[in-house]
Amino acid sequence: MIRNTKCECGHQNPVGTVLCEACGKPLDEELAASDSVLEMRYDGMARRSQKPHPNPVDRVWNFFSSVRVAVWLIVITLAAAALGTVFPQESAFVNLTDPAAYYRENYGTIGAVYHALGLSRTFESWWFITLMVMIGASLVICSLDRVLPLYRALTRQQVRKHLQFITRQQVVYVGPIQGDAEAWTARFAEILSRKRYKVRTDGNALLAEKNRFSRWGPYVIHIGLIVFLLAVLMRGVIPGWYMDEYVGLDDGEIEQIPRTGYFVKSLGFRIDFYSDDELPEHLKGQLRVKQFTTKAVLYECVAYCDDATREPELKEVAAHDIRVNSPLSYRGLRLYQYDFAEAPRLISVRPTLVDKRTGQSYGPFELPMRHPPLTYSVGPFTLELRDSFPEFGLDENGEPVTLSREPNAPAFVFVIKGPGLPEEGVPYLYFPREADRQRFGQDRINGAAAEMFDIRVMSMEDVEFSTYTSYLNVRVDRGMPYVWTGAAITMIGLVMGIYWNHRRIWLRIDDGVLSLGAHTNKNRFGLRAEVAAALAKAGIEVDAKMLDNRRKES
Amino acid sequence: MRRHKSVQYLILALMLLVGGYAVGRSFASSGDVLRPGDKPPSFRLADLQGEAHTLEEYAGNPLILNFWGTFCPPCREEMPALQQQYEAWKDEGLQVVGINLSEDRHRVENFIRRIGVSFPILLDTNRRTERAFGLREYPTTYFIDANGVIRQIVSGPLTIEEIEGRVKSLLESA
Repeated sequence: MIRNTKCECGHQNPVGTVLCEACGKPLDEELAASDSVLEMRYDGMARRSQKPHPNPVDRVWNFFSSVRVAVWLIVITLAAAALGTVFPQESAFVNLTDPAAYYRENYGTIGAVYHALGLSRTFESWWFITLMVMIGASLVICSLDRVLPLYRALTRQQVRKHLQFITRQQVVYVGPIQGDAEAWTARFAEILSRKRYKVRTDGNALLAEKNRFSRWGPYVIHIGLIVFLLAVLMRGVIPGWYMDEYVGLDDGEIEQIPRTGYFVKSLGFRIDFYSDDELPEHLKGQLRVKQFTTKAVLYECVAYCDDATREPELKEVAAHDIRVNSPLSYRGLRLYQYDFAEAPRLISVRPTLVDKRTGQSYGPFELPMRHPPLTYSVGPFTLELRDSFPEFGLDENGEPVTLSREPNAPAFVFVIKGPGLPEEGVPYLYFPREADRQRFGQDRINGAAAEMFDIRVMSMEDVEFSTYTSYLNVRVDRGMPYVWTGAAITMIGLVMGIYWNHRRIWLRIDDGVLSLGAHTNKNRFGLRAEVAAALAKAGIEVDAKMLDNRRKES
Repeated sequence: MRRHKSVQYLILALMLLVGGYAVGRSFASSGDVLRPGDKPPSFRLADLQGEAHTLEEYAGNPLILNFWGTFCPPCREEMPALQQQYEAWKDEGLQVVGINLSEDRHRVENFIRRIGVSFPILLDTNRRTERAFGLREYPTTYFIDANGVIRQIVSGPLTIEEIEGRVKSLLESA
């Protein structure tokens, strides 16, 4: 249906205009014939999406410009996000090798269905991200579709409005005045100016307006939300912006932080307990943890980082006693205390070589459990390392093997060479841990060599061991400053839109009759009181309640 | 009004671009684990003689990449089968490379000598390569075609027959 959009005042309006852009007269004949309160949304302007012949691109634009669509998108996203929190997400686990089995075993059939539907990865799923992108598009397009026409309408306001426009506002006063119309208008303008209104007059017509900026509040909120959304999006898109990894460290151990050029070393993990003096009566005598601490040093690789044939060259860049909520922080990299395990492990020993034939002992010599050197000079003897087993065991054929890469039950095969020994030397199997020495029967295995030599640690001072494995959570989140910026902008928009309200007062005097209409986007009571007070100062006493246009209707 | 239209198109195009990229990535980043059809991540590792080798060196011919450790019984078990198949097919262009799971060099050397492995063995350090491949189980064997694309991934030990069938299809497709 093509309607004539030209107003009687002579202004040509775009299709979709409700109230004439110039004089404010209702354009729709049905609307013009009634006397209901006017709908002032976007000042009756046509939205950008209201075009007569939409092409496919316009249709996409129109779809996203609909508030109804926006509300549905938000409702669907909320529902999906709620479903995503029913069971823990897969990303919440450090090491989940078989997620399908995990959900089935822990949550039964529902868990299996949950996983099969992909809800266990809701927040990384394509459809959830599609929803987020659609909400983003809706935010941008909804805003643009409304803010531009509204801006145009508010900057090009005509002072003299159609009588119908004025008398069909929310707040209306119609009544006779005495004296010259223009003088009365000027005086009333003065009164409103003192109430911080910006006043424009056109003969005996007047437009007073204040706090227009609060109308931009919702759009500022939208800008904040878009910044927020983009920041979250960037986290997943820009390499190095987001990382969430875990590193397990024995005391004294150094590990590379996955996918970075950084290495972290633990100088020791400790648990402090509250003393009885610090505990309340009913907890005395109990072990209550006061603090978990990992003394950590962060290194940056400066040379040979990707060279597998050499050891990387490291430079210390930061050191910190990592405690819960007190991470080691370096250039956006944060290492948090996450977990610990009691896992006693040898780091190194300093054993002594005893020549049983002479009773002489030599050493001690340094023997690290990880990456041991291949030769050791001990007194007149040379020990050549032929093999080592971090966790000694026997395979199905009775052959010695290592059961893991961790030094849980270390064993070393030396060949001892030196005075009084055959050229090819004497093989000797050494277990640093006394328990392993007994369990595997070191002396029995070594046979004749055990008659000649003993390798043993003389005192506990020659043993360096780790009691705990400390687990650190390594995080990088470079999107956070932008997330905060977005949140701050949103807050500013919220304050703008909520603590101020846009108030406008129109009036015209026709043949000694004053017609006054006023509109606000919120707090109508305040506006009515303000108008009543202004009228009182101009000599017209009227009850604020009587100004309510809708009251008169009913 | 024409200017408005082009701005409108620009905004829509921008959204399509950013949104499309974000959604596209959600498909790609469905985990760090490699799948058939992927290209394996590049590496640079030392062999037992201390010389560095990269994945790129093996391009052009089918490659079996086997991650193994002396601490893993099925790895030890399948090693002779890999060696047998290497000898059987190396003249046809098959390459076999064993990547050790960050153990000490002397450990690896002792084991290799005892089994009599003659295909190249590379040494991972600090579990870096193993992490880059997203390894979940040991052993894991990647069957990579001449174009450098992973055709099959097998976790667990392989028998001679199981290797042979896969090698044949690798060589046929080359």
